[in-house]
Amino acid sequence: MIWKIAKKEFLLNLMTFKFAVGTILCVVLTAVFVPILAKAYQERLKTYSENVAYNESELHKVTVYKNITPTIYRPPSALSVFSEGLEKQLGNSATINYDKVPEVTGAAANHYLSIFSIFDASLIFKIVISVLALLVAYDAISGERERGTLKLMLSGTSARYQVLLGKLLAGLVTLIIPVTIAFILGLVILLSFPMVDLGGSDWIRIGFMFLSSLVFIAAMYNLGLLFSCLARRSAISLVLGLFMWIIFVAVIPNGSVYLATQILPVESEDKVNEQIALLRRDAQREFIRELRNSGRSFQSGTSQNDMPGKGGFGHGYVRSCNKAYMENNLIRYGIGVPIEIKYADKYSAVEYGRLHTLFEQTRLADNLSRISPVSLYENVMSAMAGTDVAGFRYFIDDVKAHRNNVVEYIRSRTNNFSSPSFFTPCTMEETELHPLKDDAPPLDLRDLPRFVYKADIIGSLRRVIPDLALLVFGNVLFFALAFAAFARYDVR
Amino acid sequence: MIRQIIHKEILENLLSFRFILSLVLVILLFAVSGFVFMVKYKQQSNDYWEKTNENLEGLNGRTDQLFRLAFYRQSIWRKPKPLSLCSEGFEKSLPNRFTFDLFSSDLPEIRGQGNFTLSHFTSIDWVFIISMILSFLALVFTYDSISGEKEDGTLRQMLANTIPRYEVLVGKYLGVLLTIGIPLIIGLLVSLIIVVSSNVAVISGLDWLKILTIMLLSFLYLSIFILLGMFVSSRTAHPANSMVVLLLIWVVFVILIPSFGRIISEVSGRAPNPVELERRLGEISAEMWSNSQRFGERAGFMSPNPDNPYNNPPARARLRTAETNAKNQAREDHHNKMLAQASTGRNLTCFSPTVIYQRASETIAGTGINRCVNLYRQIKQHQTSLRDYIRTKDSEDPDSLHLIFPDGGCAQAWRTISHNPVDFGTVPKFQERDLALGQSLKLAIWDIGLLALFNLVFFSASVVSFLRYDVR
Repeated sequence: MIWKIAKKEFLLNLMTFKFAVGTILCVVLTAVFVPILAKAYQERLKTYSENVAYNESELHKVTVYKNITPTIYRPPSALSVFSEGLEKQLGNSATINYDKVPEVTGAAANHYLSIFSIFDASLIFKIVISVLALLVAYDAISGERERGTLKLMLSGTSARYQVLLGKLLAGLVTLIIPVTIAFILGLVILLSFPMVDLGGSDWIRIGFMFLSSLVFIAAMYNLGLLFSCLARRSAISLVLGLFMWIIFVAVIPNGSVYLATQILPVESEDKVNEQIALLRRDAQREFIRELRNSGRSFQSGTSQNDMPGKGGFGHGYVRSCNKAYMENNLIRYGIGVPIEIKYADKYSAVEYGRLHTLFEQTRLADNLSRISPVSLYENVMSAMAGTDVAGFRYFIDDVKAHRNNVVEYIRSRTNNFSSPSFFTPCTMEETELHPLKDDAPPLDLRDLPRFVYKADIIGSLRRVIPDLALLVFGNVLFFALAFAAFARYDVR
Repeated sequence: MIRQIIHKEILENLLSFRFILSLVLVILLFAVSGFVFMVKYKQQSNDYWEKTNENLEGLNGRTDQLFRLAFYRQSIWRKPKPLSLCSEGFEKSLPNRFTFDLFSSDLPEIRGQGNFTLSHFTSIDWVFIISMILSFLALVFTYDSISGEKEDGTLRQMLANTIPRYEVLVGKYLGVLLTIGIPLIIGLLVSLIIVVSSNVAVISGLDWLKILTIMLLSFLYLSIFILLGMFVSSRTAHPANSMVVLLLIWVVFVILIPSFGRIISEVSGRAPNPVELERRLGEISAEMWSNSQRFGERAGFMSPNPDNPYNNPPARARLRTAETNAKNQAREDHHNKMLAQASTGRNLTCFSPTVIYQRASETIAGTGINRCVNLYRQIKQHQTSLRDYIRTKDSEDPDSLHLIFPDGGCAQAWRTISHNPVDFGTVPKFQERDLALGQSLKLAIWDIGLLALFNLVFFSASVVSFLRYDVR
């Protein structure tokens, strides 16, 4: 019996005006927007490869170890076409420095663009198809009552739960059609761009995105069904459903962020800056103490020959110098750099303290917004696209490990920063000669550790499971409520 | 007859379930927006005054020697505005700090504000409530205005009388406009009462005028959606169908197109890249310094001893001034590109009334991106007047070399700028100037015209389709 009802409903749904208009709109929107989104991705990818190439070419100019300060870039995610998340809001690069530990930063290339909200392909699912789901569901029960067919149906042998399950099945099958069409169309368009190269793990991600889109749409359909069972007139159930929809789409995502900022305010930057300033003073003191212990002292009468801007990554270097300069810098770097490296970790601990409050605030906002299926769906999509905060943190953690490798590499090459090669190609013997003016040969950095970006598929799957489970729970809850309401429904 | 129809429409609407639901939702949201604004404004003004006083103290501390004043890097913070209650204009994610000294100003930046790991969200200001929620309600009230009466069979009865069709249409339009006006006006009043009674913000006479203008603008905007609803309703035979079409149009107009701006501006041109700017600035310096001879003999040389004969102050002044000017130019170009990118996005999404309405109300409230840009320009003007002041004061000192150029070391060692103290009271201090209502209106005139055009188009469309409507 369920199947018969489902089949009838499905066929009826297919022929409705709303289904036709909704599906056509989805297809048109996907066909128009995905190419533009893919084009934007292409631009980002181009910038990324330019940056990487710049890095590589600068690395070949490096003449002294001090100047090894490459910037590591996070490759843009092709799946950001489906969910942009924080891709444009968080810094996608980190510079390797011995005196600074990289952290997650907020770096928009153009602040003025923040007047626009996020636009990605999941917006089409989130907004258009969820409206469609409500539109398909709102008159499922109350509409049949109005037309008088509900009492006819129930006067047969079919049980109420069969009717409701049949409607659910029919609605889901109906909605799978636009979701699948839009998804496949989007993917085909994306793949038609030559630079898009999806690997095995990307297909797992896409599979999860598709799955979560279906679960989300089912949740919205169940919500519509619930309101259809609650109201006697279909107009009322539509109004109720749409009000709920606007609360889920507009009020909760914005309100939860606001509430989180009020409940858990973040410390101001000034405090962190003060603490860091204090630490810097400590670092200076420690330097002076170490200097005194070593029994060495700075000499006067330095002279050197600078090569501004020619030492790679925009830094200059000292081509040749006299003995006093050499001695002074051997002290400055040999004693100073290990201290700076030690203090970099301390600064980073202070900064991370503040950053942690930011993350906590974001987590609270996310948790508060989890009462809305729209936010749950957004979370799943951005985690799968690797554009959520956790994705960026994973990248920065990788860069931190890489920074340690680079620093260790420099340390091993420069005898714990106390070799002249750290800051000048000029050797001790050359200080006696007339200062050289030609460019020094670049360093051989073939064995410098290179950064390889690995996306974190296991981590993102782990992040996605609770949200997906909540979405499924939302489905069950809405359907159970709808069932309870329908069991007491007056079909006359 | 029209009055009777209006009367009937309003009464019918007032008793409906959707009216009660929307009244509650709208008033609640307006009240929330009032509270949110109150809390935020208090916090922001405290911060603002603290930072501004810090800046002035710093300025005061530099008045003992004129040259130190010239090299003082001032930070100007964006002042919170009472009118951001109406239209916040995304100010929380726009630059709020502008730093400058006598010679150069940095690009506007965002400081100490909020949490960059939070996802993008819209503040609940009036414009948000009106452009999102009330426009939606306008559709909810009109989707069945024609097709619903047809289904009920009351439309033919009405038209069986001597009343012309356009009167029915106008009557219905005004009826819905007034109905929508009730939650709107009550909501605005609630929000205003909360703000005024809390005493955190002083709303001046000019502000009241601007609030009134924004209110009128809101009616103009909502009327577009009412007319759109009536148009679609008079094109379809069933209210269910008109709801479907209207909802999808609403989604496209209010949600999709406004967010589309970003992507369109990113695709339409090469994005200005801060990394590139940094590289460019580095190149400028390297280029200037390696060719320093072209500014005069030994321009690159500087000995702290003013009597050293190798010093060449005029050449050095030329070098440093040329360097700073080139850098300023690079920054200015970068800033213009950033702006152009953002305004391309907005201009290309202007076929949505929501974008136009947002922009117009931002312009009138004096918030948003235009205000930031204005502030940046005003700061540059202030820089010029400060330079004139320094020049005048410097000319009074016979010991100074009267070379005002961006090199703090030279100014101190060679006395290129006077070292005499100045009176803090005479130093020009930055003061942001608000636009008068007339000026803001002039800036918003195109947007207001476009909104009126939308009204006209949908009105004539609904008249035409209603005249041809089959009422059976």
